[in-house]
Amino acid sequence: MRGVLRGLVSTTSRMTVVDLEAGLEHLSRGTARHVDTLLLIAEPYFKSLEAAQRSFALAKDLGIGQIYLVANKIRSPRDESTVREFAGRHAVPVAGVVPYDPAVVEADERGTAVMDGRPDATSVAAIRQLADRLLTAA
Amino acid sequence: MKIAVGGKGGSGKTTVAGTLARVLAERQQVVALDDDSNPNLAVTLGLPHGQAADIPAIPRDWLEEQPDGEGGTRLELKVPAEVFIDRFGVPAGHNLTLLVMGQPSHGGSG
Repeated sequence: MRGVLRGLVSTTSRMTVVDLEAGLEHLSRGTARHVDTLLLIAEPYFKSLEAAQRSFALAKDLGIGQIYLVANKIRSPRDESTVREFAGRHAVPVAGVVPYDPAVVEADERGTAVMDGRPDATSVAAIRQLADRLLTAA
Repeated sequence: MKIAVGGKGGSGKTTVAGTLARVLAERQQVVALDDDSNPNLAVTLGLPHGQAADIPAIPRDWLEEQPDGEGGTRLELKVPAEVFIDRFGVPAGHNLTLLVMGQPSHGGSG
């Protein structure tokens, strides 16, 4: 279905958000060419950050213009500084910091959208900020 | 703007992608594409469970094989993207349409 995905992303005039397969190995050059922004979601621990950094290098090779790290499940200022320090060391820009949010766990358990049950959740506020940042950068 | 969201399994990739799509759809038309082989973007966007589980596979006869330039073939859309999205997109709230890539079904084309 690579060609189908690429065809959709490349020719629709609508804004597109693609939830990719876990890991970037499946991302083809053809699809990547039509994606202008890649968000790499990482948790604040070494293996997750390392994986994001490898994906960053791969995506850069594929020629994606804007590649950002989005830190997720951040529980403390220390978590945030771990991510920022890592990102700084590898010159990966951070576009968002999403806190660990019990409302997400609850929504996952119920199989609902966080935004429907808890539109005021801290994670939703952080993702709203992320959206603002992406729209401003575009 | 064409945004892709990637990450390790368990990183919260789908939650971020789904919530981001919802937030963006407050301002403009958004297509959310689920390219994960274990698709669960539908639930994250807020579709009821029954509806999320019932999203039909894309019929094979809307796709055609084209040379991939490397000696093989790949499936391509037979129709313009907007036609395809209108036909197979699942309404997921105001301004938001979901497409699940998955595997094509053979449908009537055999």
